[in-house]
Amino acid sequence: MAAPTSGSSNAKPFDIVATYNDLLRSDPDLTMPIAAIEALVLLLTHSPSSTISETLDLLEKSTAHLKQSIPNPIGLSAGTDLFQRYLITTLQRPGQLGPAGDFNAIRAHLLSNGRLFIRRAKESRDKIAAFGRGFVRDGSTVLTNGGSRVVASLLQKAADEKGGPSAVRFKVIYVLSSAKRNSDEPEGMETVRALRAKGVPVSTIPESAVAYAMGKADIVIVGAEGVVENGGIVSRMGTYQIGLLAKAMGKPFYVVAESHKFVRIYPLGQYDLPIEQRVIDFKTEEDVADEAKQQKAVSTETSDAKAVNTADSADVVDFTPPHLISALITDSGVLTPSAVSEELIKIWF
Amino acid sequence: MANPVDPALTSSVSASQPPAPEMQPSVQQPPQGASPSKPAKQQTPKQPAKGKDGAAAAPAPSGDGAALTPAELKKKAKADKAARRARERAERETTGGAPGGPGGQHAASAKKGASGPGGAGGKDSAAAAQQKGQKQLPRRGSAQATAQVGAAELKKKQEEKNVSVFGHLYGQQRRTTIAGAGKEVHPAVLALGLQMRDYVVCGSSARCVATLLAFKRVIEAYTTPLGTSLARHLTTHLSHQITYLSTCRPLSISQGNAIRALKLAISSIDPSVPEATAKSSLCDFIDSFIREKITVADQVIAGSAAQKIQDGDVIVTFAGSSIVKQTLLTAHKQGKQFRVSIIDSRPLFEGKNLARTLANAGLDVQYSLVNGISHAIKDATKVFLGAHAMTSNGRLYSRVGTALVAMSAKERAGGVEVPVIVCCETVKFTDRVALDSIVVNEIADADELVTIEPVQQLTGLPDPTAPAPAETKKGSKAAASAPVESSTASQSTGSPLEEWKESANLQLLNIMYDVTPAEYVDMVVTEMGSLPPSAVPIVHRMSTNL
Repeated sequence: MAAPTSGSSNAKPFDIVATYNDLLRSDPDLTMPIAAIEALVLLLTHSPSSTISETLDLLEKSTAHLKQSIPNPIGLSAGTDLFQRYLITTLQRPGQLGPAGDFNAIRAHLLSNGRLFIRRAKESRDKIAAFGRGFVRDGSTVLTNGGSRVVASLLQKAADEKGGPSAVRFKVIYVLSSAKRNSDEPEGMETVRALRAKGVPVSTIPESAVAYAMGKADIVIVGAEGVVENGGIVSRMGTYQIGLLAKAMGKPFYVVAESHKFVRIYPLGQYDLPIEQRVIDFKTEEDVADEAKQQKAVSTETSDAKAVNTADSADVVDFTPPHLISALITDSGVLTPSAVSEELIKIWF
Repeated sequence: MANPVDPALTSSVSASQPPAPEMQPSVQQPPQGASPSKPAKQQTPKQPAKGKDGAAAAPAPSGDGAALTPAELKKKAKADKAARRARERAERETTGGAPGGPGGQHAASAKKGASGPGGAGGKDSAAAAQQKGQKQLPRRGSAQATAQVGAAELKKKQEEKNVSVFGHLYGQQRRTTIAGAGKEVHPAVLALGLQMRDYVVCGSSARCVATLLAFKRVIEAYTTPLGTSLARHLTTHLSHQITYLSTCRPLSISQGNAIRALKLAISSIDPSVPEATAKSSLCDFIDSFIREKITVADQVIAGSAAQKIQDGDVIVTFAGSSIVKQTLLTAHKQGKQFRVSIIDSRPLFEGKNLARTLANAGLDVQYSLVNGISHAIKDATKVFLGAHAMTSNGRLYSRVGTALVAMSAKERAGGVEVPVIVCCETVKFTDRVALDSIVVNEIADADELVTIEPVQQLTGLPDPTAPAPAETKKGSKAAASAPVESSTASQSTGSPLEEWKESANLQLLNIMYDVTPAEYVDMVVTEMGSLPPSAVPIVHRMSTNL
């Protein structure tokens, strides 16, 4: 992460949002919480805070700022909360690094540990792949969706293990979303290519064919943007329906997620998420005409319109309740949904 | 005996006339069966139809009853009764301890207390104070009297009235009087015990706080006897108080947890600390326990649960939970626009006070009884429930009827799920496990079900005339009609169930709690955050180990 560091340090007031976005763009393997933590660590290295309360205050302010300026802060807040919590517990601990100690030493310790944390988080993907490998059995067909990097690494690992093209013994049904991201190809195409290169037969289907294809699948593996307190997941739009269908057809539904994606929110349903999504948008002919007119007027300010558009189509998420999930494969082991809250409580108390 | 609760406030008016004479015979004559039949007879002339019912249900056998006029019927019943009484008296005399003199009177009234359903009527009549006196003797006396007088027979009779599935819960009847309580029991505790028995202090948290405050006074008044240390002796001293309280009403989980914490605090006191210091530190401990575990916890819970309320919500709640009330008021203060639908049930009618408080605060309230659940749940968007306890398998142990409400919300036709949210302080968590509501439960006096006048909930605003005006709009239609009807009924005739103890195959069950399966609960809001029910044991472990 050398490049973004030097780049942003030149700007006099440290811009946490820009740093965060830079980090995400520069490293396709980076998840949102980790990018947030990394941005916060960078912030601390750049800011000359000298007391604990000053540090915490700074952290809180920039976290709030960051959350406000990102359309979907669920994944991100997992990282910032975790980092804040970590800071507080470190500062409260008695001894050299506690409140009595030398603040500079504390700071140095925090920063080095923050980096260590980031490195560990990146390694967690391998760990998960190791845990999850056993779930992809010989001759089975895996149904998956979205562009989750953890799922991709899990499947690739499984393919590797079987020892090259001759020994591949599982197939993948890849659900490709119709919503396109920045590039022209749908999310997940990269993984499809990589798997095919390894000799894994991959079939791509549109979201509308999930119910049709479910009968041919043996297990469902999906990624998640955030794992919430009741063990449900917040994930790319379309995951919920896959979960429902898998449940209806009695197929196991596994979620692959790093444990730093555990968020301390508790949604009660689809519409209880702490973000605003305009998925369902009722319009009459009149509204459509109005909007078109407005769009023309605003088209000069392209950036705004673009941001709104992306939030509307590709970044929308839904909530899959815990009772649809068979197990969560995380770097701290394979958990049932109800164990998530235990993990979260362990972190928080 | 049921209505111990309302004595002074409500009943004296409605039932002042008839029972007074009734007292006499029941005292003079041997007890069983005496009192019950009397009221029936007195009622017959006033309302023949009802009287006939009563007669048919009661001892009078006979298929020829239909042909007889009410007067004849009455005569026949009287004759029957007299014969039976004579038989019984003879029996008793042969067994030995004949009731005689003042002792006999006591025994008789004791019987009435223990087994006479007619006693309910009689009691109503007596002025509150006198009534207490009346009842005090019996329960106390019954220990001695039964020893003399066919104890086994009486016991058998009582057992027949126990619903056998719940037989293990009948163990000990609630204390009716402070007589016979140990001299160690502090007056504050004595009073509290009766208040809890009468549901004056009702609700898990309220009982817990009241107990702790009473114990604080006990500790303040306590002096360590010579030759022992405070840490050792105070615990036993407290356990006298606790035993007394538990004879008034079984202790709640929260009370148990609080007592455990207090005992731990006592036993960890250094014996070398001077008594005054130790006592003040214990009082501080109690204060901070109440503050941390209940007062502040309630605020935190209300705050975080109120976040879950959105504009346009229709909140369904069951009975009267103080924490739910606080939550709804908090949300209302935040300016949220929502409706509240309160579901209530007999015999405690805890929802009435809630309805009144919320309506006074300006909320939109609908009140209905649990019979109307399917209607009330139709437009619900969220269900908020209070808790008596949360068990370690994530189940909710709460006022009977809660499970029904939770289930209705979850299984509502149409499939749109209504989230069920439980508000519960961690002090109510227990490491016990409940698989059903049979093994662990509390049985209240079955006569509470018989009384016609609804037992008044005295907690909060003790104004017996208020319920009707308090309810608003739709609610009042359903609810208002009920009390009105019953009050008119009570003037004219007794409840058809009044003599349930005398009719052979009739059992009444007044169960206090039920268990809601964890699947019906979406979220438990505690002061330590929102949890799924499965996280209850973890949090319990953490909050007790700290």
